[in-house]
Amino acid sequence: MNIHALPWFILFLPLAAAVVITFFTQRNKTASAALSIAAVITSFALSVVLFVKLSGETLPNPETFNLPWLHVSNLYVDFGIKLDQLSILMLLVVTGVGSAIHIYSFGYMHDDRAVSRYFASLSLFMFSMLGIVLATNFVQMFIFWELVGVSSYLLIGHWYERPSAAEACKKAFLTNRVGDFGFLLGILLVWSTLGSINFGTLDDMLKANPAALGTAATAAGLLVFCGCVGKSAQFPLHVWLPDAMEGPTPVSALIHAATMVAAGVYMLCRVFFLFTPDALSVIAWIGGGTALLAALMAVQQSDIKRILAYSTLSQLGYMVMAVGLGGPASAMYHLTTHAFFKALLFLGAGSVIHALHHEQDIWKMGGLKAKLPITFWTFLVATLALCGVPPLSGYFSKDEILALALGKNQALFAVAAFVALLTTFYMFRLVFVAFTGPAKSQARDHAHESPAVMTWPLIFLAVLTVVAGFIGIDERYADVLGKPALGNHNVAVIFGLSAFLIGLFAAWKLYANALSDPIPAASSRLASLLRNKFYFDELYAKIIACTQEALATAADWFDRWIIADLAVRGAHGTTELTGRALRLLQTGNLQTYAFLFVTGVVVLLYVVLR
Amino acid sequence: MSLLTHILGWPLLAALVLAFVPRNFRFLTRLVALAATFTSAVLAVVMFVKFDTALATDFQFVQILPWVASLGISYHVGVDGLNVGLVLMGALVAFAACCCSWEIKEREKEFYILLLVMTGGILGAFASLDVFFLYFFHELALVPTFIMIGIWGRGEEKDYATFKITLYLSLGALLALIGLLALYLQMPEDKRTFDLVTMTAHFRAQAMDGSAQQFIFPLLLFGFGILVSLWPFHTWAPLGYGAAPTATAMLHAGVLKKFGLYGLIRIALPMMPEGAAMWMQWLAFLCLGNILYCGLVAMKQKDLNLLIGNSSVAHMGFVFLGIASLNVLGITGAVLVMIAHGFLAALSFGLSGYLYQQTKTLEMEKLGGLLRQMPFFGAAFVMAAMAGCGLPGFANFAGEALIFFGAWTEFRVVTILAAWGALVIGAVYMLRAVRSILHGPLPQQWHAAQDASTLWCRLPFALLIGALLLFGFFPVLLTKKIEPVAKQIVKDARAVLKPSVTVGVKN
Repeated sequence: MNIHALPWFILFLPLAAAVVITFFTQRNKTASAALSIAAVITSFALSVVLFVKLSGETLPNPETFNLPWLHVSNLYVDFGIKLDQLSILMLLVVTGVGSAIHIYSFGYMHDDRAVSRYFASLSLFMFSMLGIVLATNFVQMFIFWELVGVSSYLLIGHWYERPSAAEACKKAFLTNRVGDFGFLLGILLVWSTLGSINFGTLDDMLKANPAALGTAATAAGLLVFCGCVGKSAQFPLHVWLPDAMEGPTPVSALIHAATMVAAGVYMLCRVFFLFTPDALSVIAWIGGGTALLAALMAVQQSDIKRILAYSTLSQLGYMVMAVGLGGPASAMYHLTTHAFFKALLFLGAGSVIHALHHEQDIWKMGGLKAKLPITFWTFLVATLALCGVPPLSGYFSKDEILALALGKNQALFAVAAFVALLTTFYMFRLVFVAFTGPAKSQARDHAHESPAVMTWPLIFLAVLTVVAGFIGIDERYADVLGKPALGNHNVAVIFGLSAFLIGLFAAWKLYANALSDPIPAASSRLASLLRNKFYFDELYAKIIACTQEALATAADWFDRWIIADLAVRGAHGTTELTGRALRLLQTGNLQTYAFLFVTGVVVLLYVVLR
Repeated sequence: MSLLTHILGWPLLAALVLAFVPRNFRFLTRLVALAATFTSAVLAVVMFVKFDTALATDFQFVQILPWVASLGISYHVGVDGLNVGLVLMGALVAFAACCCSWEIKEREKEFYILLLVMTGGILGAFASLDVFFLYFFHELALVPTFIMIGIWGRGEEKDYATFKITLYLSLGALLALIGLLALYLQMPEDKRTFDLVTMTAHFRAQAMDGSAQQFIFPLLLFGFGILVSLWPFHTWAPLGYGAAPTATAMLHAGVLKKFGLYGLIRIALPMMPEGAAMWMQWLAFLCLGNILYCGLVAMKQKDLNLLIGNSSVAHMGFVFLGIASLNVLGITGAVLVMIAHGFLAALSFGLSGYLYQQTKTLEMEKLGGLLRQMPFFGAAFVMAAMAGCGLPGFANFAGEALIFFGAWTEFRVVTILAAWGALVIGAVYMLRAVRSILHGPLPQQWHAAQDASTLWCRLPFALLIGALLLFGFFPVLLTKKIEPVAKQIVKDARAVLKPSVTVGVKN
């Protein structure tokens, strides 16, 4: 088979699965699951084939795979396949981690009443994400960008009968739409200045003339970055991600690891040529700020999934910061390793939740190490990787970002090192409280290890987590995105490891045998500030209420009482009034008529004869 | 006879036949109406497929029958790239509306006669190339609308709604009529004709007097504008659609409303470039009234039909924005949105009508959790909501995207605000509707609600969603036809303006 046909299969197989499930296998849960899983595994296999066949080869010009989708006047929107090392590696990550999550879902969602709908949405999600990875131009990317938004809406709202889930999916979609608003304006600005939306063409134009965007350059970059702020949940649009935990746990794993949030970072790397130094420094600070903010919030959460959610936010902050510091290769490297261990963490959390019959509060867990051995050991591997312990993959990628920051921006390096400390602290808080510490409720007694269909994906991901640092992923990214200029490696390692040790020690001291959280007792104000996520949700609710909602209320009032009422009823009233006035003339009195007639004649005579 | 005459003739003929069908033959009544609209729809599809895209600027399927030669009136139908999609959309929506009319239980015969007359009128208005017949067919469709709302309408405000929609639309039609007659009188006395093609060619060769344009253009802009619910003349729309029977709302909001836009693009722009040059920037600001203001109003609605009504007013704002930008992208996008929104509005009102049958209320606070009870309806409703907030994959996205690209080079601030309206405000009210109707726990009282389970119930919705998806995935099916005509219209309309800013390199 022609190698260039492969990406089309990789892209469209999940869509085909979603369509077939929707139309034909709604009633047959197993068939739906099998179709969806088969589609994603085949995509994965084909991605591997593509990777093997094309690695090292000079790739053909991606323009050759373009099909015209919408050509009107001077706007050329193609539907194409962008095939380079970046997209091939991303394909592997998305389909590989996606496969593990799909298989795991089969066990996790077994008793759900809408398995078919679940797998159809999951396949749609894969399709959308693969579309982003393979997009050749801004509009194509925007199309799949929106599709990712809607499939996440469907999945987060899978249990739509729960009001919290129904609100969460709405919030996720709307927050993303705010980011997309900026993204769309960025696309329009780039197109109107440079006349193209095609990544390859834009790259060439900006290479030939870096000042081609003129004064719009920084604005265009930052507007495009808005899309990433929404999708990758960066400050100030980070609020949707923790709420998105309302979806089934495998969905959280998918959103947090392989798809959606990764899309934002991937997009930044794809259009890295667009960013000016000013734009990059804004991006770096937004990333660093998000990393710090989210790590602080994670410290006081007690829901196992929410802790992981904030850690995702924080790690995404690292990646965005790395892009901002001029190291897209480091960002992609961390994205890849993070995809492995974060998927593993979520699936491990799902295994715990499954075993405890949907208990998510870590303060009702404890002592799970013995009950769930596979879950515990894989979870621990992922935790260590997240904390950057050598020789796990997280160590290499995180170390690279720390070194990058050290070379470029000392202040951000300090932030990043402090975030590393916090990361170890809150992750080991979770491990100590939920797994190794004393049992805190009866729930533990009936817990038992999850079935093989759920544990094998854990093991698969754990293996990836261990080996990913040694198989040259970083070099491949460096080949396509350029080698990042790193600072002093040893200093970064020393800081990274000290942060780990301090964090571990603090967590051990506070939580190794704790039955309840000691921090609120010590400082209740700080604890509630952190637990309530710095009151961002409340603040936004206030802001929205006194801007858009207030405007809407005013518009509604104006529409109802001014335009509709005064204008229309006014017109109606005037007509009626005229009618009544005219009726006065119709007295039915012959003498009046005769009088008026004669008056008229006299006036007429006067006018004529004058 | 031209295929077009068949397409618009069958419903009118069927209306005539129904007049002789006895009142109690209810099945036959429905059958005749369905058969006629089905025939129209199939023929429209045939016409769309046979339409020669390479000759999109030429009129095809033309038929001319002289009628009153002394006044230059003739029955002249034909389609070019501009109206071929509109005729197709109109015929499909008419069939879907007819399928949705089973809710009518009394005076069915009269209802179906009016529905068929309305259908014939709409299709005639879009197919006519003679200004007299264009207007005549529009009135033929408009008058049944009022009667249907007045007799078969629902809700407490039915009478007020009928009164208001009649008042507004008659006023709009009257203004447009004055404008059209004035256009006719602008032709030199020996050449006077109502033939649209001849008139356009004449004014292209011999530009109309500037002061006449300044007088006639606003008449058409606001006359047609009122018919399309241009802000601030929009308040009839949500109210009227809220009270209208399902099929009427589907046909009017979906198809008939587009007549005003069609008139602007077909008649006003190419014949009066100076008027266009003067008024288009005003239109760009007025369209914000539709997009932003009516979008905000939609956010606050508690009744589903009022929400959909306001959202449909808001969607018209995008079309106005496309027209106002007066470039090929904008006009092509505007026509694309007209077609897409035709399917979408019909789908939305069809679904809300179905819901009303089940629950007897459209107050969103009372509803909830219906996705479990009505999965097909729920899925269709979510799709309608997503299409309504411009999700790619549905035809609306392609059209709105073209409009944004077109308007961006002409009116930057307006485009930014319009994008906010499209991406954020639209999503807010659509998702709120989904949240309060479909999501959440299912109240006890709706346990008896029935899903659309039979083929006949599902057919109209499936048809409309299918059309939205088809043109959403393959917008070239339409843009290839629209673009050449849009080019010609832009060229005519920009005769006095400097050419629009050109950006863009191939790839």
